Amino acid sequence: MPAFPATECADCGELYGFPVVACRACGSESFEAHDVDGSGTVYARTTIRVPGADHQGQEPFEVCVVDLAADIRITARILDNPGLSPGDSVQFVEARDGVFFFEAA
Amino acid sequence: MRDVSIVGMGTTEFGVLDAGVKDLGVRAVSRALRSCDVSRADVDALYLGNFVAGILEGQENIAPLVADSVGLTGIPTMKTEGACASSGIALRQAYQAVATGVHDVVVVAGVESMTSAETTEFTRALNSAADTQTEGKTGLTFPGFYGLWLDRYMYEHGTTREEVAAIPVKNRKNGATNPRARFRDPITIDDVVESRLVADPLRLYDCCPAADGGAALVIAASDRARELTETPIQVLGSGHASGRSGAYRYDDLTTLDATVTAATDAYAQANISPTDLDVVELHDCFSAAEIGDSEDLGLFEKGEGATAAAEGVTAVDGDVPINPSGGLLSKGHPVGATGIGQVYEVCLQLFGEHENQVDGAELALTHNLGGSGAVCTVTVLGRDA
Ligand SMILES: [Zn+2]
Repeated sequence: MPAFPATECADCGELYGFPVVACRACGSESFEAHDVDGSGTVYARTTIRVPGADHQGQEPFEVCVVDLAADIRITARILDNPGLSPGDSVQFVEARDGVFFFEAA
Repeated sequence: MRDVSIVGMGTTEFGVLDAGVKDLGVRAVSRALRSCDVSRADVDALYLGNFVAGILEGQENIAPLVADSVGLTGIPTMKTEGACASSGIALRQAYQAVATGVHDVVVVAGVESMTSAETTEFTRALNSAADTQTEGKTGLTFPGFYGLWLDRYMYEHGTTREEVAAIPVKNRKNGATNPRARFRDPITIDDVVESRLVADPLRLYDCCPAADGGAALVIAASDRARELTETPIQVLGSGHASGRSGAYRYDDLTTLDATVTAATDAYAQANISPTDLDVVELHDCFSAAEIGDSEDLGLFEKGEGATAAAEGVTAVDGDVPINPSGGLLSKGHPVGATGIGQVYEVCLQLFGEHENQVDGAELALTHNLGGSGAVCTVTVLGRDA
């Protein structure tokens, strides 16, 4: 089960899913890698059938908002599973080019 | 702070106009100046909202170019940008300049030309309103943002697809009689729920069309308004707030807090409550957005926005008329022109001259939202006493 590569503020401990350059809570610019449990829950899901310019040919694909156990909410991709709904369990698979991919747990 | 009034207005129709941003801006501003007794020498400044002319046309710096082309050479000008709220912000800035006594008479415009762009360029330009470093990389589009929104909303409230479809059906019915609208043919619930999926559960007829268009206002200190027009409209409240940079940033995705904040400020300034409003033009870029906006504006309890539309409450002759113009879903969404276009529609309502007139409309609200709820302006307008 891959861990999720979160980022932790070195000064106040605030956790972030996406990379940050300044801490929203304390203003620090110091961060450390901090792996957290990669299991999560779908908060909301959509299937993109008309993609933007940079994702042509990938459609249809699923984008979701996921809540990780570590109280981090992120927007991510679900690997080929349009059947998922809010409340369903998912598991982090990998990060690729700044995008987090999950699959049904 | 001084009171501020709208003393002139002009617009193009919203649709496929085969004209660039400068020409659309010039047309709208010229028409606004002609609509009132304002001479070129009276105008102290020009604020112009635009979103994607730089990307699509390679045309930036359009505020001074428009000013020079309408005979307003020499005055201070500026462009405001806040995605779909670009011209709502222009109005807000102009309002503040007049209210604080910096200027007495200001021209405000919004303009966008989008339909001649290739689809790839067009979607790239629109997606630039999202955070390209985070959600942009996932491939989330703006229909996708509202797809996520609606997925969560239907999960929480048990709202049916048919209830959601009542919104585009209502707005297309209203748009059918608005000569400024891009789409003027009515549709049915079946048309909506059988249209192709764009970003589940959002379908094609849940989405507003692109459009070209320009709209402009002349605003002035209220104590000078009667010199400039016989029918001033007073700006009773003005709110402007920023919100979240993406779907993942919301604790409750179905409440876009920039709207709540901007509306709360505008209501307080106008000293009214939502139930006092006679007519509302809100930012229905998607059917889901109209549901959420109507709740965030305090017009309905959470979870009741779609059922209100399905029950006819938001129809022109309903208790809470919303988007009698046809909204963005019918008029189309010339992004930077949208906010001023909404104000144009409610001014007609307050004059009693709208094609879909709400009987006795005296108090109106416009709501202009940009990005993933990232920026919002709300304006409360009333007949000048
Ligand atoms: Zn910190």
